[in-house]
Amino acid sequence: MRFFTPEWAEAARAAVNAGPSQDGKLPSYWNWIDRARTGYTATWALGVRESGTYLVLTWKDGTCADAAITSDPSLADFVLAAGEATWRDLREGGDPGRAVMYRGLRLERGDVLAFFRVIYFFVESLAALTRLPTED
Amino acid sequence: MTELSNVADSDLRGIRDLDIDDVLAYVHRDLKRLPDYTELYKRYLRQRWDVYELDFSQDIVDWREGMSQEERDAFVGISAGFHHGERQVEVELPVFMLGGSEESKIYMSSQIEDEARHTVFFDRFYREVVGMPGDSVQEVLDASFEHVSETFVGPFGLLAYQADELRKDPEDPAARVRYGTTYFLWIEGVLALSVMKITLTYCRERGFLPGYYTGFTATCRDEARHVQFGMRFLRDSVQEDPRLLLQIHETLRTILAINGATSRRLALESLGWTPEEVRRLMIRQLHMKLVDVGIALPPDIQDMVARIEPELAGG
Repeated sequence: MRFFTPEWAEAARAAVNAGPSQDGKLPSYWNWIDRARTGYTATWALGVRESGTYLVLTWKDGTCADAAITSDPSLADFVLAAGEATWRDLREGGDPGRAVMYRGLRLERGDVLAFFRVIYFFVESLAALTRLPTED
Repeated sequence: MTELSNVADSDLRGIRDLDIDDVLAYVHRDLKRLPDYTELYKRYLRQRWDVYELDFSQDIVDWREGMSQEERDAFVGISAGFHHGERQVEVELPVFMLGGSEESKIYMSSQIEDEARHTVFFDRFYREVVGMPGDSVQEVLDASFEHVSETFVGPFGLLAYQADELRKDPEDPAARVRYGTTYFLWIEGVLALSVMKITLTYCRERGFLPGYYTGFTATCRDEARHVQFGMRFLRDSVQEDPRLLLQIHETLRTILAINGATSRRLALESLGWTPEEVRRLMIRQLHMKLVDVGIALPPDIQDMVARIEPELAGG
């Protein structure tokens, strides 16, 4: 499965709906994420800076209802982008929280405070979709 | 007052003998008066210390022979957040310096230097005492990141994104107030001072880690200037435009919403702190800033403050 293809987007949709493995983290942490996710409705566009290609994930009432690859993320509520090096690091097991904190992944458009109110839900969704086995 | 004068005037050797509670009292002493930015800059010039003068030789002995594994784990867990946090604020502050008055910019140059020095302090501690591997500052940071909890990832990540937002227009008053609320009120005023109280009380009561105690107590004295600058900035901003109070509220709503999430638990009891004590400490730190500066909270945020969870560093 190739990275940033329609096939991968569909696998990413399934992965974020399933969520990552909950092993090794406190149940209260997952409870927080469940609360953040409940009823969540927004669209995330996650891009590769060099290619200008975006994965658009559409959340409706806590479920990722649609996933697509596009070069036009203008309809997304939150547009984020990272360089190829950051995406490679994440696919090789890099910490998604660190990608946020160290600004490897940048919010290009969208309300910062609204985005951060679900930040760990976002971080774990990013973990889930970057752990998919892919090739360049 | 004598103790607080000692806090203000001590050199690095004298700081080792200060009680952290006196330093915290010093942080809050001027909050009602709030010195101007030039006075804070003059104070910086008098209080600047040399991070390379710290001697960690006894800390190495204490770490290896005096402290239990549980104590070491808890200590690394709680201080790793600020190992990365000091670096984070060092690199996020310059964008804030682009706006504001010339006096503010001159003062801000000193705070950026403070934060760089604090980064070196933690780099030396993690390298020389904890024994984290790495030839460069970044490599030591890489080695300690696995110990950083969500309590720090969330607020410092928020600050990074707010810095990007501010970069688009460094004079935007609303963006500056949102940034200032995250940085000066929460990170400096609540998280930093709580971590200082917890780790420094442990060091003092157990008689451990004199190099860490000296350096982090000196850091706490630096925080007095940072917090006082920040509270003055927020107070003046709201006095100039009362609508900006809403920006403080919205930022606090976000911070308090994410505060309770942590994926790991640390045995802070091994450092002498119960979860309830940590909870009360954080609430007290927040209230002291809000009350002294006159920032009123609506009922929903008051409820969120009352429900602050003692998840500092996963405790």
